[in-house]
Amino acid sequence: MTKEGYNPFKMAQKQFDRIADMLELDVPERELLRNPLREYHFLIPVKMDDGSTRIFKGFRIQHNDARGPCKGGIRFHPQETEDTVRALSMWMTWKCAVADIPLGGGKGGIICDPHDLSEREQELLCRGWVRQIARDIGPVRDVPAPDVMTSGKHMLWMMDEFQAIHGGQYPGVITGKPVELGGSLGRTEATGYAVIYQLREALKEMDIDITKTKAAIEGFGNVAQYAAELYIEYGGMVVVVSCWDQKDGKAYAYYKEEGIDLEALRKITDRFGTIDKNKAAKMGYERMDGKEWLTKKVDVLIPAALENSITKDNVDKIQSSVKIVVCGANGPVTPDAENTLVENKVIVIPDFLANAGGVVCSYFEQVQSNQNYYWTKEEVLGKLDNKITDAFYKVWELAQKKKLRVSDAGYMIAIQRVAEACKMRGWV
Amino acid sequence: MTKNAGYNNGIDALKERVKELNCLYGLTDIIKDPTLSFEKAIQKITALIPPAWQYPEITCARISILGKDFESANFNETKWSQISNIFHNDSKIGVIEVFYLKQKPEMDEGPFLIDERKLIDAIANQIGKFAGEAQLKKELNLAEKTLKSTKTGKELNQQKHDWEVIIGLLIRTDPRTLLRLTRKMIYHLFRYENEEITKLLGNICPVDRDVAESQWCGINMPNPRQNLESLKFIQEQIFKMAKKRIPPEEISDLFHHWLRQDKARPLLLSAQKKGISLVEITDELNRFFNKEDVEEILAMEDRTSIRTALIRRFFTDRLEFVNVAKNFITLEDFVKLLDHVIGPAQGCGKLGGKTSGFFLAEKIIQEEMEHDELLKDISFPKSWYITSDTILNFVHYNDLDEAFHVKYLNPDQIRKDQPFLEQVFKNASFPHEIMEGLRKIIRDLEGKPIIIRSSSLLEDSFGASFSGKYKSLFVSNTGSEEERLYSLIDAIAEVYASTFGPDPIEYRRERGFLDFSEEMGILIQEVVGQKIGNYFMPLFGGVAFSRNEFRWSPRIRRKDGMIRIVPGLGTRAVDRVGKDYPILVSPKRPKLRVNTLVREQIQYSPKYLDAVNLKSGAIETIDAIEFFKEHSEIFPHTNDVISIHNDGRLSIPSVLSDPKESDIIITFSKLFEKTDFLEVMKRILILLEEKIGTPVDVEFASDGEKLQILQCRPQSQSIDRKRKPIPKNIKVKHKLFSTNKHVTTSQIENIEYVVYVQPEAYADLGSIEEMQKIALIVNGLNQKLPKRRFILMGPGRWGSRGDYKLGVPVNYGDINNTTLLVEIAKRKGDYIPELSFGTHFFQDLVEADIRYLPLYPDESDCFLNETLFEQAPNHLSSFLNNFKKYENVVKVMRVSEWIDGGTLSIIMDGDENKALAYLKKADHWSWRLHKTYEIGKNLDADRFGVKALYLIGSTKTGMAGPASDIDLIVHFQGNEEQREHLLDWFEEEGVKISEQNEEKTGIEVENILDVHLVTDEDLKKETSWATHITSQYMTARTIPLDKKTDN
Repeated sequence: MTKEGYNPFKMAQKQFDRIADMLELDVPERELLRNPLREYHFLIPVKMDDGSTRIFKGFRIQHNDARGPCKGGIRFHPQETEDTVRALSMWMTWKCAVADIPLGGGKGGIICDPHDLSEREQELLCRGWVRQIARDIGPVRDVPAPDVMTSGKHMLWMMDEFQAIHGGQYPGVITGKPVELGGSLGRTEATGYAVIYQLREALKEMDIDITKTKAAIEGFGNVAQYAAELYIEYGGMVVVVSCWDQKDGKAYAYYKEEGIDLEALRKITDRFGTIDKNKAAKMGYERMDGKEWLTKKVDVLIPAALENSITKDNVDKIQSSVKIVVCGANGPVTPDAENTLVENKVIVIPDFLANAGGVVCSYFEQVQSNQNYYWTKEEVLGKLDNKITDAFYKVWELAQKKKLRVSDAGYMIAIQRVAEACKMRGWV
Repeated sequence: MTKNAGYNNGIDALKERVKELNCLYGLTDIIKDPTLSFEKAIQKITALIPPAWQYPEITCARISILGKDFESANFNETKWSQISNIFHNDSKIGVIEVFYLKQKPEMDEGPFLIDERKLIDAIANQIGKFAGEAQLKKELNLAEKTLKSTKTGKELNQQKHDWEVIIGLLIRTDPRTLLRLTRKMIYHLFRYENEEITKLLGNICPVDRDVAESQWCGINMPNPRQNLESLKFIQEQIFKMAKKRIPPEEISDLFHHWLRQDKARPLLLSAQKKGISLVEITDELNRFFNKEDVEEILAMEDRTSIRTALIRRFFTDRLEFVNVAKNFITLEDFVKLLDHVIGPAQGCGKLGGKTSGFFLAEKIIQEEMEHDELLKDISFPKSWYITSDTILNFVHYNDLDEAFHVKYLNPDQIRKDQPFLEQVFKNASFPHEIMEGLRKIIRDLEGKPIIIRSSSLLEDSFGASFSGKYKSLFVSNTGSEEERLYSLIDAIAEVYASTFGPDPIEYRRERGFLDFSEEMGILIQEVVGQKIGNYFMPLFGGVAFSRNEFRWSPRIRRKDGMIRIVPGLGTRAVDRVGKDYPILVSPKRPKLRVNTLVREQIQYSPKYLDAVNLKSGAIETIDAIEFFKEHSEIFPHTNDVISIHNDGRLSIPSVLSDPKESDIIITFSKLFEKTDFLEVMKRILILLEEKIGTPVDVEFASDGEKLQILQCRPQSQSIDRKRKPIPKNIKVKHKLFSTNKHVTTSQIENIEYVVYVQPEAYADLGSIEEMQKIALIVNGLNQKLPKRRFILMGPGRWGSRGDYKLGVPVNYGDINNTTLLVEIAKRKGDYIPELSFGTHFFQDLVEADIRYLPLYPDESDCFLNETLFEQAPNHLSSFLNNFKKYENVVKVMRVSEWIDGGTLSIIMDGDENKALAYLKKADHWSWRLHKTYEIGKNLDADRFGVKALYLIGSTKTGMAGPASDIDLIVHFQGNEEQREHLLDWFEEEGVKISEQNEEKTGIEVENILDVHLVTDEDLKKETSWATHITSQYMTARTIPLDKKTDN
C-alpha cells in the first residue's frame, strides 16, 4: 500500500514523453531515448588504511552518444540510486544537445561517503573506478567531470590512471581539471556570462534596451557574481542580490534602489558568497529576508542559487514589471510556477539552456586537451558567446514560430537533434 | 626550636635520636678501626660529639684521658657544661666535657636534655672499655698472628662485633630504635628460619590460640598485652638467632644500612603529620637532601610512604591519583616543586586539581622522554604554584570574611553583588610574605606573558568539572617590576573573586558541593610563544582528548582520540567560541578528516586567533588570515598552519608560494602530514591514559619548534562528559528508545518535546517541494519550541543535499535549538541506509554542543517504542499554522502527556556503547514547573488585566522540595474588580494544586501558590517585588500566557 515516492527518473521520463508527443516521435525512437543506451555496474575493491578491504559499488550510465562522446559528472554519494543517475544522464544528453555541442549524455558515481574515507582511500577508489571502466570511457567515448562531492583532485587521479592503462597522454579523457594541468581558462566566468549572453539577446528580441533594465539576482556565488558583472557591464542595473548567511543560518536579500556597487560588495563577501551584513548596512543596503528577493520592481529576475526558489506559493509576489526570468541555477522554477509566469506573459529561459555555459566550457576544455593547445581567456569567452548565442537563437526562433514556451522549445530542439542523430546513424 | 614548641610532636625528639645514633655509630666505627692509633681515635670521637647535641653549632667538647686533652674545633670553656667521667676497671681514667657556647633555655639538666645525659654517659663508658682494650691490644698484638690459626670459633664469637656494640648502646639510649632494628631483623630472619621465629612470635602474638599463655577467650577480646621484659627477652633471642645464622659482616652491613635508612625517619614522620606547615615540610625535605645520601638509601616502603604522604599533603587524598603519582613523583621532585610554591609559611594548603594533574603528567612524560626518542622535544612551561589556603589568608588579612557567606545568599543576590565583590578583592592587599613570593615569580618569568589558572580543590576531590567555571587570566607581564607585580596581584585577586561568583556557586549548589569549604590553588605559568608585532602568541594551541566523544564517521572509534587545534592561544579550542571553528583531527585516524570537501574545509576552518596584546595587556581576538598574511615572513613555521586555496584546491605552501598574495586557509595540513605532531600527541595520549588509568585531556601549545604540555586532567572532568550509568529497571512502556551502536557519552535531561519525522511517511512524499516543506516545518518548530528542551528524530541523513529522499534537507540554522539529533536508519528493501553522523554540519553541532545519535531499529539490540509515537497526540498545529496536511509526516509530542508532568531523559554511555531514552517522573521541581506553565496556559490574562507572569524562588532555581511553594509575580494592569477576581482565581488554582501535591507527596502545604501582584507604579518605584523583574541581576522566568491576545 505504500505510495510510490518521488522518483527522479520517472519524472525525467514523464517530461520526455510529453515532448516526444509534441515531436510526434515514433515508438522505437521513444524506446531508445527514454532509457539509457548503456549501463555499467561494477564493484571496486579498495584496500583500506587499516588493512581491511572494502567493496564499493560504482557505475557509469551512458544515456546516449549519438551526437558525440558522452559527457557528465561522477558523483560520490552514500545513497546513490540508479534512478537518480539515469535521470541525470538523460538530462545531460538534452543539455549538450540544446547547446549544440557534439557530445552525448552520461553520468556516473560511486556509492560512498568521502567523509568516511581518507585521501589515500579516495585515490584508490578513483583509480579503481577507472580500472573497471577504462575501456568504455575516453576522449572519444565518454568524458567524466567533477560533480557532487568530487573535485579536480579526483579528476586528476582518474586521468592519471586512465593514461597509465592506455599508455599515453589523454588529457581529454576528463574535464574539470586545474588550469595548470589541462584545464580551461574562463571556466569561473562561463556559466554567469552565458546567462547574460542569453539575456542580452532575449532583451534585444523583446525590444527592451538593456541599459534601462533593472534586475534582481538570487544568490551571490560564482554564477550570480559573474552574471551581475556582465549585466552591469552591458549597462543594466542590479538592485537586489541575495545570499546565504552561514552565521545566521538563513538567507538575506540586499536591496539598493540606485543599484548595487558590485566591486564594493565583492570586497565584503567571503569565498562562499556570504555578504557581511553589517558592512552592507553601513554601505546603505537594505537587508531583507532572503525570500523577498523577487518582490522588488524589476524587469529581470535571475534565480542563481537554489532549486525550487520560485514556487506556486511565492510566484504571486513577483511584480508585474518583471518581463523575463533567466534560470541560472538548476531547477529554480517549479512547473506550477512556470505555468503562472507564462500565463502572465513572462519569458522564462529554462535552466538547461540558461546555465549551459558550464557544459560548453567543459566541451572547450576537452577540445583544447585533445589538441593539446590552450586558448586565452578572451578566446574561450569569445567562442562561448558565439556558441551560446547561436544555441539561444535556435530555441528562441522555434519558440516564436510555434508559439511555445522557451523551455518546451529547448527540449524539443534538444530531443529532435538527438533523435535525428540516431536516425542518421541508422539506429532507428 | 624550643622544647615546648617542638617536643610535643615527637619529631624533634626523633631528630635528636638520630643525631645520637650517628654519634654512636661513628663511635663504633672508630673503635673498631684497627688502623687508628688510640690518640687519633679519641680525637675523632671528640669531633663526633658536638653534632650529636641539640645545638651543634654552639656545642664544643673536650675529652681528657690518661693525662691528655682532646678538644673539638671550636672549643671554649663556658659555664653551660655537661660532664661524664670515664672509668676503666672502676678507676677514673678521664672525663668528657660538653659545653654550650651560648645560653640556651632550661631543659632537663640545665640546657641539656636527658637523652644527652644518657649519650654522654654511654660515650664515656665506651671510651673506658676502649682504653682498656687499647692497652690489652698492645699486649696481644704480637701474639695475635700466631694465635689466629688456633683460635676456635667460640673464642672469635666472644669478641664483640660492632653491631653488638650498637645494640648495647641502643639498649641504654634508644630502645625504640632498637625495637625497629629488631623488627627488621625478624623480617630478615624469616628468610633463613621461620619455624623458630614463628614459635617465638607465637609467644608475643599468639596466632595459634591454643598455645597462648593468657586467658584469651574470643575474637572480640583485645589481644593480651605483653610485658616489656618479655619483649626484651625476644629481642635477645632474635639477635642470638641472627648471630647463629648470619655472618657477622652481613649483620654489620644490614645494621649499617638500616641505620642509614633511619635517617629518613624525621622526614617520614613530618610528611605524615597532619597539617604540617609549608615551611616545616620544606625545611625537612631540604635537610634530608642536604645529607650526603639521597632517596636511594631509603627502604622501598619508607620511600613510598614519604612520597604518598607528600602527595596527600600537597596534591590530593584521592586514592586513584595517589596510587599513580607515587610511582612517578620522587622526593627530589618535591624539593624542586617546593622551590616554586608560594603560600603562607605556617599554612597547610594544597595545590589543587589543575596543578596536580599537570605536575603528574609532566613527571610521567619526563620519565618516558628518557627512552622515547619521539618525545624528546616536549617541554613544560615554567610554573609557579600558590597554595590553596593563600586565599583564606588573603581574605582574613583584608577582613573580607563575609565573602565566605556569599554562597548561601540567594542566587540573584550573588549575581548582583559579584561585580562589587570583585572590585573589593582587587583593591585588597596581600600579606607581605605572599608579596615577596609573588615578586620571585615576576622575576623568574620576566619577559614573557603569564597565565594565572585557578586550581580548585573541589575539582579535584569530587571529580566534578569546574572547567570554565572559575577564571583563568592572562597577564602581559610588561612594564617595570612594580607594574608587573601589581598586574599579577590584580589577576590573582580576580581569580579569587571568581570563587564566589554566581556561576560556580550555582553549579556547586546543583551538585550538592555548596558546603564544601572551597579553597583555590593557583597555577601560574609562562605563556609559550613568540612576539610578533604587538602581539604574543604560540603558533598554535589546543586540547587533545584520549577518547573521541564526537565521532564524525562510524570508522572512528572512541579510543582514537580527538584533538581540537587552533592558531594562536589555545583558548579558542578549549572553549567553544561559536561562529568560528577549531580544526578537529583524530590522532589515531588522522586521515579520516571531518571535512573532506574543499568547500567544507574552508567553511569550517578557523578564521580568528587569540593573542596577548603586549601593549594593552589584554587577550584580543584578531583576524587570523590577515595576521598570517602580514607576518608570514617573520612568523616561523607559518606554513605548518596554512594552506593555499587556488582553483578549487588546497595545497601546502611551497617555497615559491607567497602567502601575502594568496588566498590562505588555516588547515594545519603541513603540521599533520609532514611533521610528527600527531604521532607525538598520540603517544602522549596513550601514555597518559595508560599510566593514569583513565581517559585524559591534555592542553598543549607550540611555538612551532617545541611542543609544550600545559595541562592534563581526567577527561571525565571536561565539558559535562562525565559518565553516568544507564538506569536499570525502567519499564518498557517508559522507554522511548535504546541502542548500542556508535554511542558517545552524554546526558540529556528535562526534555519536554519530541519532534518525530515519520520515516515511511517522509519517503512517500511525492515531490522535492514537499520534502522542502518538511524542512520548513522543522525550521519553524526549531524557532517555536523551548530552546534545548526538545529532540529531533528523523529518517536517514539530516541535512541531506542533492537527494532529499535521504533525509530532511535542513541547514544548521533550522535545527540549532535542538539538544539531540537522532538519525533513524530503517531497512529499505534489502539495505540499511548509511547515516550521516551529522556530517553536513558536524562542526556546528560540536561547537553548539548538540548531541547526535544514530538508531538502527531493525537491528535486534535497538529498540524504538513506536507505540508511544502512535498513541501521542500531535501538537504540530498548535505551534505552526498551515501545515495540517503534513501531520502524518511530522509529529510534535509533549513528553508530559506520556507521563504526567514528567520529562524525557537520554543517558548515553560511550564506554558501554549504550544509550537509553526514558520517561522520567516529575520530581518536585519539574512538577511545580509544569504546574506553573499550566497556570500560564489557563490564566485568562485579558479578563483579569494581567500583563505578564513571572516565576521566582525555589521553583525557578530548581531547588523546590515537596513542601515548597510556587512564587509567582504578576504584572497587573487591571482595576480593583479584576484584582479581586484574579486573586480568587489564583486561590482556587492554589487549592487544586495543593491537593494534588498532597496526594503526590503526602505533605500538606497550605496555599501552595504565593502570588505577588506588581503594578506599573511598583515597577516605576522599584518596590521589592518589582525589582525581581526590573533588576538586571534578578532573573525571573517569564511564563508564557497562552490566552493573551496582544502578543
